[in-house]
Amino acid sequence: MSLAHRGVRSGRSVGRFRVATPPRLYRPGRYVRRRPVITKDLLRVSRRGGYRPQFVAGDPDARRLAARVVGVYQGHVGERRSDLDDALEALEREADDYKLVRGLAALLDREATFETRAPLPPRRARRVAFEAAETVGAASAEERATVLDRAGDRLGVDPSEIDSSLYADRDANRVLAAFDPRWDPEELLVQYDLSLAQTALFDATEVRVRSTDPKALVSAAKRLGLLYEIRVREDGGPTDREVVITGPDALFRRTRRYGTAFARLLRTVAATADEWTLAADIDDRGREYLLELDDGDVSVPGVEPLAEPAFDSGVEADFAARFRALDLDWDLTREPEPLRVGASVMIPDFAFEYRHADFRVFFEVMGFWTPEYVEKKLAQLADVEDVELVVAVDESLGVGEEIAARDHRVVTYSGTVRVKDVVDVLREYEADLAAEVAADLPAEVAPEADAVAVADVAAEHGVPTDALDDVEFPEHRRVGSTLVRPAVLDRVGDEIEAGMAFAEAEDALADAGVTDASAALSALGYRVEWDGLSGGTVREKSP
Amino acid sequence: MPPVTLTYEDGTVRVAGAPAESLPGMEADARSATGRAPAHRYREIREALRERGRDVDDRVLDLPALPALDSGYVLREYQREALDAWEASDRRGVLELPTGSGKTVIALAAIVAAATPALVVVPTVDLLEQWHRELSATFDAPVGRLGGGEQTVEALTVATYDSAYLRADELGDRFGLLVFDEVHHLGGEGYRDIARLFAAPARLGLTATFERPDGAHEAVAELVGPVVYDLDPDDLAGEHLAEYEVRRVEVELTAAERERYEAAQGTFVDYVRDAGIRFTSGSDYQELVKRSGTDPRAREALLAKQRAREVMMNADAKLDRLARILDRHRGERVIVFTAHTALVYRISERFLIPAITAETGTDERRETLSRFRDGTYSRVVAANVLDEGVDVPEASVGVILSGSGSEREFTQRLGRILRPGADGTKTATLYELVTSETAEERVAQRRR
Repeated sequence: MSLAHRGVRSGRSVGRFRVATPPRLYRPGRYVRRRPVITKDLLRVSRRGGYRPQFVAGDPDARRLAARVVGVYQGHVGERRSDLDDALEALEREADDYKLVRGLAALLDREATFETRAPLPPRRARRVAFEAAETVGAASAEERATVLDRAGDRLGVDPSEIDSSLYADRDANRVLAAFDPRWDPEELLVQYDLSLAQTALFDATEVRVRSTDPKALVSAAKRLGLLYEIRVREDGGPTDREVVITGPDALFRRTRRYGTAFARLLRTVAATADEWTLAADIDDRGREYLLELDDGDVSVPGVEPLAEPAFDSGVEADFAARFRALDLDWDLTREPEPLRVGASVMIPDFAFEYRHADFRVFFEVMGFWTPEYVEKKLAQLADVEDVELVVAVDESLGVGEEIAARDHRVVTYSGTVRVKDVVDVLREYEADLAAEVAADLPAEVAPEADAVAVADVAAEHGVPTDALDDVEFPEHRRVGSTLVRPAVLDRVGDEIEAGMAFAEAEDALADAGVTDASAALSALGYRVEWDGLSGGTVREKSP
Repeated sequence: MPPVTLTYEDGTVRVAGAPAESLPGMEADARSATGRAPAHRYREIREALRERGRDVDDRVLDLPALPALDSGYVLREYQREALDAWEASDRRGVLELPTGSGKTVIALAAIVAAATPALVVVPTVDLLEQWHRELSATFDAPVGRLGGGEQTVEALTVATYDSAYLRADELGDRFGLLVFDEVHHLGGEGYRDIARLFAAPARLGLTATFERPDGAHEAVAELVGPVVYDLDPDDLAGEHLAEYEVRRVEVELTAAERERYEAAQGTFVDYVRDAGIRFTSGSDYQELVKRSGTDPRAREALLAKQRAREVMMNADAKLDRLARILDRHRGERVIVFTAHTALVYRISERFLIPAITAETGTDERRETLSRFRDGTYSRVVAANVLDEGVDVPEASVGVILSGSGSEREFTQRLGRILRPGADGTKTATLYELVTSETAEERVAQRRR
């Protein structure tokens, strides 16, 4: 819209009166809720087989609609709010889903600035008109004109200026002065989905979260005045645990009182964690539903969650890098799920997850901070739930024995944690796990392939390579790190003769699927006479 | 035995070192590894512990200092009886008294008697203003205000139901007495939390109509106490209240209005017939609203119904009749009511009468009401915001331009006009302007 709308009325430039917000003595409480952006009557949710908000991000139809809603706002800069509302209502009628139009408009409304434009401050115009009406009365149209004349006289303005200012400050009469949306249509849809999920959570009575950033989750819950506990599913493995979040009053009844807090929690979870799932019990006018969300459904526009939480200390960062470089049978996770400590939780620095069994070892690095920190840690370690926990203790703390007395394994360090010390502990667990792992292996294995790497067979059975040492391979011969059928090995052997270049022999073996050339040549009775760094010649082994 | 420690935590009482035998409302909370009870059971828990002779480290209430209070009011006989009944039931309970009987005065006396920080909870911003003014004028103490754009807490504080609900967890340990004005509102599912999450042992409810059709007054009785005193409007009529008469005025739609009405109503009726909705109960209307979420035709029908209603409410003839009424009652104090905000502004602009609606800012609302009270303005047009208990003395003429058909609204609006007038008028008059041969007329019929 052009500036013409700010135009000229009664031959005078139009003044502007911004209604200032009165100063407030405002103490925001924890539960003081900002009004939801998308109100409950605009909630779009499918109740077929669960409780599923109807997300729109990535939907081309929704994107076109979003662009049109943005267009309506842009096209009404300089116009009255009631005209904007009429245009939006017309769009609602055209669209299949009026609630989607209104929801998008609700988000865009926060990006719009409205202001009062009138020749006189409306409140002043009203006061003067009402006072004049008290003396004259305005029952008839003629009397009304007389009243406005008198009011105009008092303020020294034209009566029509009184008339046009009377209620120029009503919302419906205010003018859209500026519209600067933060989002393009696609981002608007992402924001819509987040707001929609938050609105759905307003009716939640309990939420359960798994997140790759539990620290942010737990501190947000505390800040919002919520209580949490760790629930380990009996039938699940040790990793199947979640943080159950409720409010104080939830002990006595199912209550939707904490819905707004849950909605704010969702935003934190989506903004901080790379991977998360959230399950919520929804009380939908007395009917119960389960709402399930994850990082594929909802994200915060313009915020990229960290793939891994930031390290608290250099000791931890350094340890993680060195451990991962070793490529052991253990996966390292930063800040894994929280552990229960009485009525509170503790989030260890790391977890080591064994690749070949559902087994997890937690690892806490205890550096020197303050006596209070050490005291708190010791108390936590005394009460933490029964899990495998290894604690690395700075020697200077001198509390190793105290911790060991609480049934945790202790690794001491000074300066940096030695990876070898931790690996040694993990090896002990491996030894314990070996029997369990091997128990599932058959005594004999006969792979279909003529030649296959031992490591691939191990991977297929989900066991470490060592575990295959006691297994028989009736159809194959083990040649170094490869299993190969004797007939196949013999056939390749025919192609190889003394005096051949090593590279040639290596190619012949590779064609047959045998990758460990040195071991195969040795098995066939040859040795390699190396020639510098570039190559070598195949020779008969000396008898 | 170590003492039992009671602390307040976000709307609950946390019980540490609890006796093995259970306490009223207490349950074991694994999250904190203590006992816990809803805050409103605090008084019973304390009593139970006292009966058992347990040492108690009671840290539940965190009461601000309160200066000595004296209301200076002389109570009328029935007001004294009501207060005594409340005191006799351990400062718990509801007083059911007709509009205009001076419930505020009794509450002020109750605050003096309890001599403890008090929170007065009220349903509207207008009542917030009124109570704030009353408390400030009566007592020599600062008065806090929660709602209408302000959030201040003092030993004496007035809050809207909404603000009290939102901040109950946080402020539940700050008051020894709760006063609920129009206590029947507390029956609403959400508002009950206010009474549940505050620990205040003393509770007083005030209302003209305690019973709710949904039976929720039983829940209120549990949280605030039962009705300990009631009085019929008839007991007071003539003695403390003015005589009044009701005049019902029917107006016709113009031909053009009639046409627009029939068109919109037709769209609605067609859909309803096709969809087989019968409208035998309120839930049928709910059904239509529900369908409108997914069915564009249902939504169109709903919008058409709304248009039809608007034609009816806004009938031009009503404004003509209103002009005649205003003309006839020149110099008298007149309040005009209508449920439709748009109509309020139409009337305000047409007759240049100050308007009060939900859109009106706190400051201007305060100013308008105060100017109406002191006589600067003799007329005011309001949407439903003035419905309950707002102290608007001296008005002798009321005009209702539309009605929802709810009995409570009707009696309470009427009650406002019933107050004794100081402008010399012996009788108050209530006009009801309805459009004839439309659904609106049936609404008026049903109320009789």
